[in-house]
Amino acid sequence: MKYFKFILLFNILLSFSANALLEVNILKSKEAAFPIVIAPFEITSDLKDNVDIAKIIRDNLNRSGQFNALSTDALVSNKIDFDFWKEHKKDAVVFGKIEQVSSKVYNIYIYIYDVYSEKSLYQKKITVSNSGFRRIAHFLSDKIYYVLLGQKGSFNTRLSYVTVTDNNSDGRTYKLQISDSDGFNPQTVVRSSNPILSPAWSKDQKKLAYVSFKNNRSEVFVMTPFMKTIPIKLPKFDGIASSPSWHPSGKSIALTISKQGNKDIYLYNFKSKKLKRLTTNKSIDTEASFSPDGNSIAFTSNRTGQVQVYIKNLQSGKISRATFDGRYNAKPVFSPDGKDLALIHKVGKDYRVALLDIKSRDLTVMTRNKSDESPYFSPNGGMIIFSTNRDNRGILSIISLHNNQIVELMQKTGEVREPTWSNYSK
Amino acid sequence: MSKKILLLSSVIFLSSCGANNISELGDKFLDLINPSDAATEQANLGGNETLVAVDEYGDASISEIEELKSLSDDALIEMAIAKGIDFELDADGNLKNRDDLIKAILENSAALAILIGDFEGSFILYFSYDDTEIDDESTSIIIEHAKFMQDNPLVNLRLEGHADERGTREYNLALGENRALSVKEVLGLYNLDDRIIVVSYGEEIPVLAGSNEIAWEENRRVEFSYY
Repeated sequence: MKYFKFILLFNILLSFSANALLEVNILKSKEAAFPIVIAPFEITSDLKDNVDIAKIIRDNLNRSGQFNALSTDALVSNKIDFDFWKEHKKDAVVFGKIEQVSSKVYNIYIYIYDVYSEKSLYQKKITVSNSGFRRIAHFLSDKIYYVLLGQKGSFNTRLSYVTVTDNNSDGRTYKLQISDSDGFNPQTVVRSSNPILSPAWSKDQKKLAYVSFKNNRSEVFVMTPFMKTIPIKLPKFDGIASSPSWHPSGKSIALTISKQGNKDIYLYNFKSKKLKRLTTNKSIDTEASFSPDGNSIAFTSNRTGQVQVYIKNLQSGKISRATFDGRYNAKPVFSPDGKDLALIHKVGKDYRVALLDIKSRDLTVMTRNKSDESPYFSPNGGMIIFSTNRDNRGILSIISLHNNQIVELMQKTGEVREPTWSNYSK
Repeated sequence: MSKKILLLSSVIFLSSCGANNISELGDKFLDLINPSDAATEQANLGGNETLVAVDEYGDASISEIEELKSLSDDALIEMAIAKGIDFELDADGNLKNRDDLIKAILENSAALAILIGDFEGSFILYFSYDDTEIDDESTSIIIEHAKFMQDNPLVNLRLEGHADERGTREYNLALGENRALSVKEVLGLYNLDDRIIVVSYGEEIPVLAGSNEIAWEENRRVEFSYY
């Protein structure tokens, strides 16, 4: 088992729109990050709704742990002083401009230069309406990430999570929210006075499954956040229904259902409306997660008396134990390449996010927190988002698997918990 | 949460002093309820997509009766069966007259309120960490409850299982159900299975906030509520 050392702690306060998630802490690691400059975009018109595209991009790239992206005092134009940037040990320079075409239409230009070869790596003009600036900033972040690293980014994506606020004497308000990958632009899609749990995106992002207690018991619902339809309730028996996990095809969904007290994992097919039982053990089987190829599920079970993670191969039917370190391993989720599981591992009295190499069984504890929950990979596999506790409040935390840098996100008031990351936006 | 139905019944009963009879009171309450539910709101998500919000309750100050009203047909039917109240379904399997059934449930609750008031209306049993075992002392308490139910055949019991905050939410949801089920198992020896509903809230509704042993002990529990 390995622990990573964090050497620096910055407190960063950013201005943020009402109820957006706020970046509060960045715990940096020693590991080097790609030093680049992202200059402010030149604006050639009066832009009233001033979305700082360069800043969104810098924050995105820095959050990934892969980059150390800085701003410049002055605008950078096509006449780049490469010697200056070499002297300051910057590897790449990014700049751009925003040009108004009509009242609501803008052209956005972006240029990426390599400092040492002094060559252009990428340039593009994109036409966009002013309401799409944030989306374009995320799109361009993915472009820069790909141009400089040769890998896909995870920025033009969405998060979903549950927020909880206390209403003084009148109970609590639970909200299922969707935001951009940086926590901005939060939108409420389900609101309830009863608990909401376990949101899960379908791969095509058209549907969200979640657990609601609105009928005073846990039931699984599927809603369409971008279409006005009534949420459908998935089948249950006489006990709990919970823990939805989409098959990658979107045609079926795994969920935990209790039948005469026995909690097992079932697969519900939306077309046939039939349930197929995937586990039969008398103990608790729950928290299923599909492998990216849809051929296996990882799940939590206390079948040996301890809470451990198992993997079932759905073709052979074989179930094998995946975790052997420690007495409590739960809530597994597959990495996008299917090679690792992120899970919750108990260390002493603490519950921490850990990464399990499925083949070698190597387990790496990723945090030093007391009560981590609900890990989920970014779609490129480069980061894990999870919830944890700071001063008795639920917050979100994003850890870079490149260098273990941690960025923490919280709400101005109340708790935020149970994050999941969507696939790429279309 | 579990006490809401009980609370509701006592509220009805107490306030019925001023009304001529319970059923008239029920009518008055039902008139107050706004029939339009499923409120939605639309929001713009940057581009051209429209996001639709599902509102699971319309009014922030939702009363207990509105809560009953907000239950799905399935939940109401379940409740009616448990209480032995008659109801009718239409061809599509939907409730024929929701309002009448809600009224009947309210009356039934009011009638039971006095009876249950004589016994412990709610009772809480506590458990060890990640454990569903019931010790001898708890068993003898559960047997008292079994005798009460045998003596009062109209009374039904809702067992609500809870867990402390440690460990994952979904596992704790399963654990809470197992705790309630182990209580039901003891009561089952007295042929009371049909009159018991088991639900679990996992770690979602702690009675005591905080990340310490005292809070955890208070939160690992099964709540008994009669209805």
